[in-house]
Amino acid sequence: MWKVCKYTLIDLARNRFALGYALLLLVITVGLFMLEPDNTKALITLTQVVLALTPLLALVFTIIWYFNQYEFTVLLAVQPLPRAAITRAQYIAVSTALVLSFLLGVGLPLMAWAPGPVAFTLLLTGSALTLVFCALGLWIAVRQRDRARAVGIGLATWVTMMLLYDTLLLWIMFTFSDRPIEPLIIPLAALNPIDLSRILIMLRIDLAALLGYTGAVYQQFFGSGGGMLASAAALLLWALVPAALATRAFARKDL
Amino acid sequence: MSMATMPRLWTMALALGLLADASAKTWRHAAPSGLNALIARAQPGDTIRIAGTVAEGTITLNKRLVVLGEANAVVDGGGRGDVIIVSADSVTVKGLTVRGARHGNLEDMAGIKVSDCRGARLIGNTLDRCFFAIYLNNAHGALLEGNHVNGDEADPDRMANGIHLWKCDGITIRGNRVHHHRDGIYLEFVTDSRIEGNHTWKNQRYGLHFMFSHRDAYERNRFEDNGAGVAVMFSKEITMLRNEFRKNLGGSAYGLLLKEINDARIERNIFADNTVGILVDGCNRAQVQDNEFRGNGWAVKLFANSTATVFERNLFAGNTFDMTTNGDLVLSELRGNYWDRYNGYDLDRDGRGDVPHRPLSIFALVAERMPFAMVLSRSLMVNLLDQSERIVPTLTPAALEDKQPLMKPPHGSDRH
Repeated sequence: MWKVCKYTLIDLARNRFALGYALLLLVITVGLFMLEPDNTKALITLTQVVLALTPLLALVFTIIWYFNQYEFTVLLAVQPLPRAAITRAQYIAVSTALVLSFLLGVGLPLMAWAPGPVAFTLLLTGSALTLVFCALGLWIAVRQRDRARAVGIGLATWVTMMLLYDTLLLWIMFTFSDRPIEPLIIPLAALNPIDLSRILIMLRIDLAALLGYTGAVYQQFFGSGGGMLASAAALLLWALVPAALATRAFARKDL
Repeated sequence: MSMATMPRLWTMALALGLLADASAKTWRHAAPSGLNALIARAQPGDTIRIAGTVAEGTITLNKRLVVLGEANAVVDGGGRGDVIIVSADSVTVKGLTVRGARHGNLEDMAGIKVSDCRGARLIGNTLDRCFFAIYLNNAHGALLEGNHVNGDEADPDRMANGIHLWKCDGITIRGNRVHHHRDGIYLEFVTDSRIEGNHTWKNQRYGLHFMFSHRDAYERNRFEDNGAGVAVMFSKEITMLRNEFRKNLGGSAYGLLLKEINDARIERNIFADNTVGILVDGCNRAQVQDNEFRGNGWAVKLFANSTATVFERNLFAGNTFDMTTNGDLVLSELRGNYWDRYNGYDLDRDGRGDVPHRPLSIFALVAERMPFAMVLSRSLMVNLLDQSERIVPTLTPAALEDKQPLMKPPHGSDRH
C-alpha cells in the first residue's frame, strides 16, 4: 500500500495541477494582504475564500484525477493487491498533495503577514476541509462511470453544503423562531463541515459579537476543551466515513 | 463685582494663605492611636505627617489640615465605619494607604469620605479594599489625583463604587486607577467637573457612570474590561474626548451606553473589541465625530428614539456589525464616515464615494430578532443576502445611509 501511495504521490508531484493550486492560493493570499492594509479584514476575506475554494477544488480535483488515472488503477487492481489498499493509498496520496499545496499557498503568506490564533485555526480547518472533500470526491468518483456526471454530482454537493444547507437552516430558524429551537441550531450547523469550520474561525474573529447573547452557548459548545474535541472528531468523521465508503465501493466495483 | 477685580482678589487670598502657613506647625505622628487627639490640638493650616500604621477607627479631619503619609503610612479603620472623614474646607490628604472601611448595605461607608466642604485635595493615596473608596458628598472644587483604588479581587461582589460623587460641582478627577469595584467612578448630580487620564478596569458594573450630571467633560481615560463599560445617563452637555473603551464584553456590555442624553460631544475616542461600541438610546443632538470603531461586535446600536445625532468622520473597521437600529424611523445623520465594508467608487476623485453606503445589514436585523442566527455569520448565503439588500433595501430603513462615505480612513486615525 505504501508503495502505491509513494508512486502516486510522485506522480502527483509531476502533475502540474497540485503546484498550480498552491500557486493560485499563494497569489490570492499574497494579493489580499498586499491590497488590504488592514490585516484583520484581509484575514476575514481570506477565510471566506478558503471556506469556498478548498472544498470546491478538492472535490473537483479528486474526481478528475481519479478518472484520469482510472486505467492505471485498473492495472493496479490486477496485481496481487487488496483493493482496499489501492483506494486507501490513493486517498492518502491525493489528500496529502492537496493539504501540502494548501499549507504552502495559504500557510506561508499567513505566517509572514498575520501569524496568530486566527491564522492557525484557518490553516487547521482548511486542511481538515481538504481531507473531508477529498474523501467525498473519491467516493463520488468511485461510484460513477461517467466523468462528467461525477463532476456534476461533485458540484451539486459543493453548492448544497456551501449555500443550500445554510438557506435551509435560515428557513428553519424563521419558521420555528417562536419555539425553543436554540439548542438545536448549533448542532445542526455543526453537522455541515463547512459551517463547522466557519464557526470555529468565527469564534476567533467575531468573539465580541458572539459574546452578546448566545456567546455563553457558543463558548460552552466550541470554546471548551470538550467542544473543540467534538468539533475535531466531527471533522475527522466527515473525512473517514466517506473514505471508508469509497474503499468499500471500490472493493465491490465491477471494473 | 467686575471680572477685572477677580484676579486681584485671588492674589490677596493666596497671600493671606501664605501668611497663615508661615505660622503653621508641622506635626509628626507615628503611633497606632492618638491621631484624633492630635487633630484636636492642631490649628487650621498645620501639617500632620503620618508614619507607620494608625488603627483607631474613624479619623475626622474637621479643620483645614494637610495630612501627609510617609512611605509606609497606613490608616486602618478596622472595619468599624468610615476610615477618614473630611468635613472642613481645603483639607489635603496625600500619600496615605487607607483600608478597613466597614462593608454594609444600610450605610455608605468609605475609605475617605468628603462631606459638605470645599477644596479638598486627595492626592496619591492608595485605597485598599474599602467598601466605597473615595466618597464625595456635597463637595465643591475638590481634586482627586493619582489615587490607586483597588477593590477586592477575590470577592468583587461585596464592593461598592470606587470613586463616588453625589451632589458635587467643580471636581477634578485626574490620573486615578480604579479596579475591582462595582462602578469604577460614579457621578450623580455632579456638574462642571473634569475627569481625565484615569484608568478603570475589571469593575463589576461600569468603569464610569454618570447620572443626572451636567456640563462635565471626560478626556483621555481608559476603560477596559469592565462588566458593562461606561454609562452616561440622563445628563446634558457631557463632553467625551480621546478616551479608550476596550474589551467590554458580555451580554449587556457596552463600550459606551448613552441613555437620555442631550447635547453630548463624543470625539476622537477609540472603541475596540467591545460587544457593543456605543449604544445610543434616546439621545438628542449628540455629535459623534472622529472616533474609531474597531473589532466590535456591534460598533453602533442607534435606537430610533434618538434625534439629530450626527456621526461624522468616524472610522468603522473590522466590526461584526457596523450599525443596527430598532425601527424604521431615522432622525439621525451619517456624514462622511469611513466604512471598511464600503465597496463604492469615487470617479470625481474628491475622496468621497459617489454612491451612498448603507451600513445596516439585513443579517444584523435577523440576528437582532434571533440571536442564535449568529451561527450563520459570514457565510456565503448571508453575504449574498446582505449584498442584495444593500443594492435594493427592502427590509432595512433606507434613510440610514452615508451619502458621502470616505474612501480612505480619515486623518488622524493613528493619533494614539
